[in-house]
Amino acid sequence: MELNRVDTQRAYELIREKIITLELAPGAPINDQQLGEELEMGVVPVREALKLLAHDDLVVIPPRHGLYVAPVNVPDLEQISEMRLALESLAARLAARRATPDDLTVLETLCQELATVTDGDTRRLFDLDHKFHQAIARAARNRYLAATLERYFGLSQRLWYLILPHLGFLPTAVQQHLDLIDALRAGDADVAEKIMREHVQMFYDQVKIILIEKNTDSTPEAG
Amino acid sequence: MVTTPQPALVLGIDTGGTYTDGVLLDYYSRRVLAFHKSLTTKRDLSIGIEKVIEGIQIGDPSAIRMVSISTTLATNAIVEGKGKRVALLLIGYDPELISSFKMEGRFATPHFHYFEGGHDLYGRQQAALDLPGILATVNELRDTVDAIAVSSYFSPLNPEHENRVRQAISSITDLPVVLGHQLSTRLGSVERATTAALNASLLTVLQDFIIAVRRAMERRQIDAPLMVVRGDGTLMSDEFAARIPVETIHSGPAASAIGGHFLSGLDDMLVVDVGGTTTDIALIQDGQVTISDKGASVGDYQTAVGAANLLSIALGGDSHITLNPEKQIAVGPERVTPLARLAWEFPMVGQQLQALRQRQWAQATPDWLEYWFLLREPPGDGIIQAPHARELIDHLQDGPRPLPDILKHLKLLHVGQLGARELFRQEILGRSGLTPTDLMHVEGRYNQWDSKASEAALEILAHYQFREPDDLRQQVWDLINEMIVHAILTFLSEKDLDLSTGRRAAGAKQQTEQRISPKDRDLGRWFFYNSIYRSHPLLETQIRLDLPMIGIGAPARIMLSRAAESLNTGLVLPEHHQVANAVGAIAGSVMATKELLVYPMLDGTRVDVMGYYCQAGDERHEFEDLREALGFAHALGRERALGAAIRSGAANPQVVVEQLDDGLDTFRIRAKAMGNPRLAR
Repeated sequence: MELNRVDTQRAYELIREKIITLELAPGAPINDQQLGEELEMGVVPVREALKLLAHDDLVVIPPRHGLYVAPVNVPDLEQISEMRLALESLAARLAARRATPDDLTVLETLCQELATVTDGDTRRLFDLDHKFHQAIARAARNRYLAATLERYFGLSQRLWYLILPHLGFLPTAVQQHLDLIDALRAGDADVAEKIMREHVQMFYDQVKIILIEKNTDSTPEAG
Repeated sequence: MVTTPQPALVLGIDTGGTYTDGVLLDYYSRRVLAFHKSLTTKRDLSIGIEKVIEGIQIGDPSAIRMVSISTTLATNAIVEGKGKRVALLLIGYDPELISSFKMEGRFATPHFHYFEGGHDLYGRQQAALDLPGILATVNELRDTVDAIAVSSYFSPLNPEHENRVRQAISSITDLPVVLGHQLSTRLGSVERATTAALNASLLTVLQDFIIAVRRAMERRQIDAPLMVVRGDGTLMSDEFAARIPVETIHSGPAASAIGGHFLSGLDDMLVVDVGGTTTDIALIQDGQVTISDKGASVGDYQTAVGAANLLSIALGGDSHITLNPEKQIAVGPERVTPLARLAWEFPMVGQQLQALRQRQWAQATPDWLEYWFLLREPPGDGIIQAPHARELIDHLQDGPRPLPDILKHLKLLHVGQLGARELFRQEILGRSGLTPTDLMHVEGRYNQWDSKASEAALEILAHYQFREPDDLRQQVWDLINEMIVHAILTFLSEKDLDLSTGRRAAGAKQQTEQRISPKDRDLGRWFFYNSIYRSHPLLETQIRLDLPMIGIGAPARIMLSRAAESLNTGLVLPEHHQVANAVGAIAGSVMATKELLVYPMLDGTRVDVMGYYCQAGDERHEFEDLREALGFAHALGRERALGAAIRSGAANPQVVVEQLDDGLDTFRIRAKAMGNPRLAR
């Protein structure tokens, strides 16, 4: 029914937010009843939302064992990074060939905004970085690629919250973004791909160091 | 009683200014099975709606196959400025032209911004789009607005700039973006901008409402499609309504017109709906509600969306009867709780009114007839910032108080000092006074509440004016009749008639006997009064309405019989006319309209016609000759309208395509698909 769809959508967004921001820690068990009460929603839309999140690999539903938040571990991280490295680079390569002047204007605007964000405003920072990657994917003019990237980006967002307290590579990121726009404008696919690859690689290197430092698979007590 | 083996139960709900009405109907036999009225809860309309659903006591909620609702939500949100904050981006508009005609006030938002771009009247780009400027502005405004509306010059002919702007804005922010060309194909640029801004400001308002209604349905185990009435009386699915809320403007009055048609079975009539707050007039011809050519207007704003041609005046059963500054009787525009009802709920009010009767003339002034009372405790501390709000609320804890008593307690001289407007608007305080409903109690024509209180109040007001209560009562009915006849006359003739001069010329005492001042030289007014009261010994004038008048709403019988007499026509009150508006909410057809534009393709800046464009929403097709283009537009329009009607919940829609000549070799192809709503299962 439509109402359920509306509520499921809202439940999905709210729970996803909780998982990504680590309010629901990696590996933590999920009680759907309690979650429903917390969100002031029926248990039906909450269960539907959890199924969707399982599909996103953010929730694990093992048979007969209740639910829990997908853990973060090094092998997983490496697999995700392999995918994103390949796909983001491809997006940058295609965007260098296909970006319109409007696309470049959008990317420039996002970059300018990124430069004005203060260090403390992490939410805005994530949001802008996400939008930047989405805009590249849009400029690549391949909706299957864009949809696939969106899915992996969702998995990466959680990692970002995980490493956030430990890092300060933001200024280089802005410079990287600017270089990338220059490459796109010049239509230089090789350079665009290279910058994007480095940008994504750098992120995963940071994540990996921190995960290994924390030396656990799941890190419920991060930070 | 006839019982069909499987009745198709449908639930119609109308949320009016005073009451929320609900009616349970068997769709095919058109039989009203049950109805219920509940007070409208403006702060959250879904509360009143759930009470109505509860009140109808549906045996088997799962048997309900459709719910349809008409709502004043959009209209109220606009009039009361409760819409969301909108940034309006005007592309290719000439700021100097706008300001020289002082049209800035018509945009329905104070945040409007001009940018380079737009197209000319042949769909050619008139200037390059200033996308960087637009994005910079959007970033600046990001945290101060809730939605963005975009209107580009001549966008119905060429929506390219609007689409590019939407695409770019949605890449940098999650704010909803509304485009002018998606709401209207009319070329009037200001109306389109206004429509886009209003639509943007209503988006979340209507979405929240629809979700609330759906929740209420779910709690009552009703699993059925939800439809919403448009301003022209047709229906659309809730999902359409959530996207184009601006089309629900005037949906309430339109629904009552449809209900009048449905219940009376007549095809030509004047429908007059007398509610608690307003009286709404609409015209039905050949079984259809007549549509306004100009588009719906609300408050000070003119939109470009279709709406029934109707006139609404602030006169209803619960209109406040007061003395104006010239000490003459006035009815409305405020709506108050009738004293009969207040005294019925709080007997001490009745006792106080009886005591007031015994007082001397100078101490029984009409302001003692206005009572204020507490409707509910304020939800938070937020709105108690008005200087006397807390004191005022505390003072009303033990029950209603007359206005002079409140002022004395708070040591104030004038109501204005209280600043209680927000408390009334939020439905924390209510106001009560003498109303037409009280007069009906005095006459015994209505006896639901405390008639003695009404009698006392009428007597106090009459004595204050040195008159007999019966005489005063008669005068109020005269005045109401004049207001209704005046409204019908101006509605149908589309002419103005100013009655204020005539009324002011007559003294308070002679108001009844002598409507027409000998000093007044105006023939229009003379004609009007002479037709109602026949004052001239030699000249008889009459107004004759060549249509029956259909009365809708609970007070219709009492408030309209004289108007029908004055207009020399019959008053028809169909069975269940009290809830005809709720009937109208389900009786309408589901409609979808698609408009395509065909216009010449010019060669660059020259005027040689190279062929024709057919602009269908965002799609543009090119043709060598006009006939080919028109033929294509007819076929595509038909298909699009059909698809939209089916998606909107119509069963077997029929399509009518018409072609309108907009001048300058430009044609508007309008395809309308209409069908009965598709019931669940």
